[in-house]
Amino acid sequence: MMRKRTKYGRYALNVFAGFGLVYLFAPIFFIVAFSFNKPKGNFNIAWQSFTFDNWLHPFAEESLTRALWKSIEIAAVSTLISTILGSLIAVALSRYKFRGSGGINLFLVLPLTTPEIVLGSSLATLFLGQNFIDFGMTTIIIAHVMFQVSFVALTVRARIRGFDWTLEQAAQDLGATPLRTFMKVTFPLILPGILAAGLLAFALSIDDFIITFFNSGPVQTFPLQIYGASRVRIPPQINVLASMILFLSVAILMTGTIAGMRKSAEKQATAKKFKLLHRK
Amino acid sequence: MTAMVVRQNRIARNADRVGLGAMIVASICLVVLGTRLVSGPMVSVIVLTLILDLVGVLVLATRGGPEARRLLAPYGLLKPGMLWLALFFLAPVWSLIRISLSTKESRFSVNYDFNWAFQNYTKAFSDFGSQFQRAFLYAAIATVLTIAIGYPLAYVIAFRGGKYKNILLGLVVIPFFTSYLIRTIAWSTILADRGFVVRAMNAVGLGNVFEWLNIMENGKLLNTPTAVIGGLTYNFLPFMLLPIYVSLEKIDVNLVNAAGDLYSSATRAFRKVVLPLSIPGVFAGTLLTFIPAAGDFVNAQFLGNPNTTMIGNSIQDQFLKQNNYPVASAMAAVLMVSIATLVLMYTRIFGTEDLA
Amino acid sequence: MSTPTPNNQMTRRQFLARTGALGALGLSLPAILAACGGSDSSSDGGSESLFFDNWPLYIDPTADGLTGTVDRFMAATGVSMTYGEGYNDNNEYFAKIQPLLGAGKPIEADIIAPTFWMAGRLINLGWTEKLPKDLIPNFSNIEDVYVNPTWDPTGEYSMPWQAGTAGIAYNIDVTGREIKSVADLFDPEFKGKIGMLTEMRDTIGLICMSLGIDPSKITSFEDAAPAFEKLAQAKNDGQIRAFTGNDYTDDLVSGNFAACVGWSGDVLQLGKDSPNVRFVIPEEGGTSWCDTMILPKGVPNASAAAKFMNFCYDPVQAAQITQYVQYLSPVKGVRDELAKLDPELAENPLLFPDDATNARLRSFATLSEDVEAKFDEEFSAITGA
Repeated sequence: MMRKRTKYGRYALNVFAGFGLVYLFAPIFFIVAFSFNKPKGNFNIAWQSFTFDNWLHPFAEESLTRALWKSIEIAAVSTLISTILGSLIAVALSRYKFRGSGGINLFLVLPLTTPEIVLGSSLATLFLGQNFIDFGMTTIIIAHVMFQVSFVALTVRARIRGFDWTLEQAAQDLGATPLRTFMKVTFPLILPGILAAGLLAFALSIDDFIITFFNSGPVQTFPLQIYGASRVRIPPQINVLASMILFLSVAILMTGTIAGMRKSAEKQATAKKFKLLHRK
Repeated sequence: MTAMVVRQNRIARNADRVGLGAMIVASICLVVLGTRLVSGPMVSVIVLTLILDLVGVLVLATRGGPEARRLLAPYGLLKPGMLWLALFFLAPVWSLIRISLSTKESRFSVNYDFNWAFQNYTKAFSDFGSQFQRAFLYAAIATVLTIAIGYPLAYVIAFRGGKYKNILLGLVVIPFFTSYLIRTIAWSTILADRGFVVRAMNAVGLGNVFEWLNIMENGKLLNTPTAVIGGLTYNFLPFMLLPIYVSLEKIDVNLVNAAGDLYSSATRAFRKVVLPLSIPGVFAGTLLTFIPAAGDFVNAQFLGNPNTTMIGNSIQDQFLKQNNYPVASAMAAVLMVSIATLVLMYTRIFGTEDLA
Repeated sequence: MSTPTPNNQMTRRQFLARTGALGALGLSLPAILAACGGSDSSSDGGSESLFFDNWPLYIDPTADGLTGTVDRFMAATGVSMTYGEGYNDNNEYFAKIQPLLGAGKPIEADIIAPTFWMAGRLINLGWTEKLPKDLIPNFSNIEDVYVNPTWDPTGEYSMPWQAGTAGIAYNIDVTGREIKSVADLFDPEFKGKIGMLTEMRDTIGLICMSLGIDPSKITSFEDAAPAFEKLAQAKNDGQIRAFTGNDYTDDLVSGNFAACVGWSGDVLQLGKDSPNVRFVIPEEGGTSWCDTMILPKGVPNASAAAKFMNFCYDPVQAAQITQYVQYLSPVKGVRDELAKLDPELAENPLLFPDDATNARLRSFATLSEDVEAKFDEEFSAITGA
């Protein structure tokens, strides 16, 4: 390690990092703690007294719950569509060398380097004054798929960058049909990448506020409901549902990490066995 | 007969050109239809072109033989996603620019006349110049702060995390699984005048120092530029931290050790080895932080005051409250173009390979 | 290992190409969704349904052992009612419904609750339906001041939901003294601790009255220009901390605001828990306003909506709403009914202002479209958004 660095310097950096973590968790601590608050009045901002009531009745706020389900519905549909579209792009980009791939790469990055407010307002100008699609669920889903596709494509591509496409050939040499090859070889191998991208897309959709704000019409999603509530009343159920989402994501993250660690260990073992990892 | 076969073969051999061309033509058709650039019989012409284009490629794929199919395959995979982006990313940008040069029929109309109305841009600059300035200034400061906080944190996790590396990384990401809005609202409570932070600062006498440094105003933190920049820094920190972490993680620890042996000091080893290798991460992080921060309006709304509004607030207000789509579009177009220019300049300096 | 035969390769590639084609099917999915989405609000089994999109905290809920108006209404009529709280801001809500109503399409809600001036705008644009008054016999209970109001001169399109007063709300803990006048809002002592409403007519109206301008007689921007100047000056000086909607209550209670422009009912509701928070109609006078119930054009469930309006104009029901929301009720006979529920509240001058108070209240004039546009533009320039 860095021998010349004084102990003092090392500690300073670690302490700084510790403060960084505190900074990151300050609002989170606050959000979770206040889900146990029994607020007086409309705003859950001053600590009054401890209660489990909010957790026992997490769905007591009807419009909030409705909005949460709307958000989940939107995230599910848009994630399904964008994961399919994005994965196909990723497979095309990493599987083939083809004319125009450089341009496609650049084009994919464009939506990510455009501020959300521009994406949202420009999409709204497209929908304004036409008679085919009404502002609502459909426009929200379209908008979400639009920004998810790039994320999915880039994530999947990064995950399957080292993928050995000669495996497909091998399977076919052994007499597998193309469908069987895809289902038994290709798909299982790129599936973790697709799942990771899908999770990311889902998370992006369910928390999107700015783009949705411009294209929601009368539909209330969870973030929109919070935005509306922030100007009138913040019931503790918002903290409860937010904490629930937090704990759920942490659980998914943990199982994902553990499963991923086990999977990659297995994969490495298998690969070593068949000496298929000769590339890298 | 032979001539036909030859021609077919030529087409088959150049199927990739056909595939790419067909995809571009289909995209253009969709942009034209989406932005309603044409009307009347021309619409049917475009629709027909689109159908012929799509069917033509399918015919080529089925009849053109294995070589053509192999060349067409990537375009087949790309097409659904690309057409989606053409219709719902390119066409909107086009229609945004069009509306930014239009005037509305009447205040509450959703119809507008395209008439090169440059006055929308004049208005965007004259009435909202300070909002543009603030957006870029606040985003720049927030970006620098995310580097200042994110880099050491990523460094500690990458080089000193040991077996806890993944757990530490998870810890850093976890806060961002709560809703963006709730996080920001939580900050507004934390920074409140009678909140813990302000009281603690005054108790240790930092209040006066901060007041003098213009970090606090009249004993308050909330609804000051500091709070807005702080909110931006907080909310976009992971976009800086993760790319830096990824680039640091790739660095071979042996390399750092070797550098430690070769150079006289750890600081120098860091400067000569670690820092250059992590620059791509900082570069990507800067883009991922600056761009959304410059277009944000949530932090300024919840944590700012009427004198700290950013361009995002103006666009949102003009678009969704004043129904002034042309001026809102002009502002959005200016924001888009200035950011694109900045990104372009930036990539010229740092190269593009690490962007994606 | 043998190399793959061309034939093998061909079929595999062919397969990948087809996968691409399959992906294209994804394109049509939203269209299918859109087709399904429209029909789910239709009533089934013959019972009527109703969707009222109202401002938040604006009706008595079913809680604390009491039945809320919505539940009482459903029990009494068998209508299946959805009560939404999506109406947060007049301008924002307008922007949401404009693309639909402007294109002649119905919106999801059967009743919405625009503030009087927004109701006037919607009526003028022809985006509202006439009320089926034959189904609303209780319409006769409407207070006299709301018969044929300026925003709905024929009285055919709107019924008031609740009314109220805008004045000054303050936290005496922070101010350290009683606030009496609009001038106090501009006192440098409270620099950076003053809140104003994003609701232009209340903020500007109150400042107008402090400057001796009668907001009910404004016809052009010039009439109100001094008020705009005064507000702009205060904003540039850093006097104003924020422009807010209902969330000023949050800032007041937590002490971020010393004083702000506020609405009577909110502060009365707050006062129960936070006695430091007070409301006053300034010496110079306050503004009065009302929120309405209207039927958007093409409303799907007009008769159920009429039933609900009729239900709410029954003084027995209206009194229970008043007891909770603590605003002015537009329904005659509420005071007597309220006296049975809460005698103290029935004597509150903010709920039932006497003639002397009423004489100090003005409601903002109905502005022509051009003038309103100018007002909105100037106001949004000050709020800095």
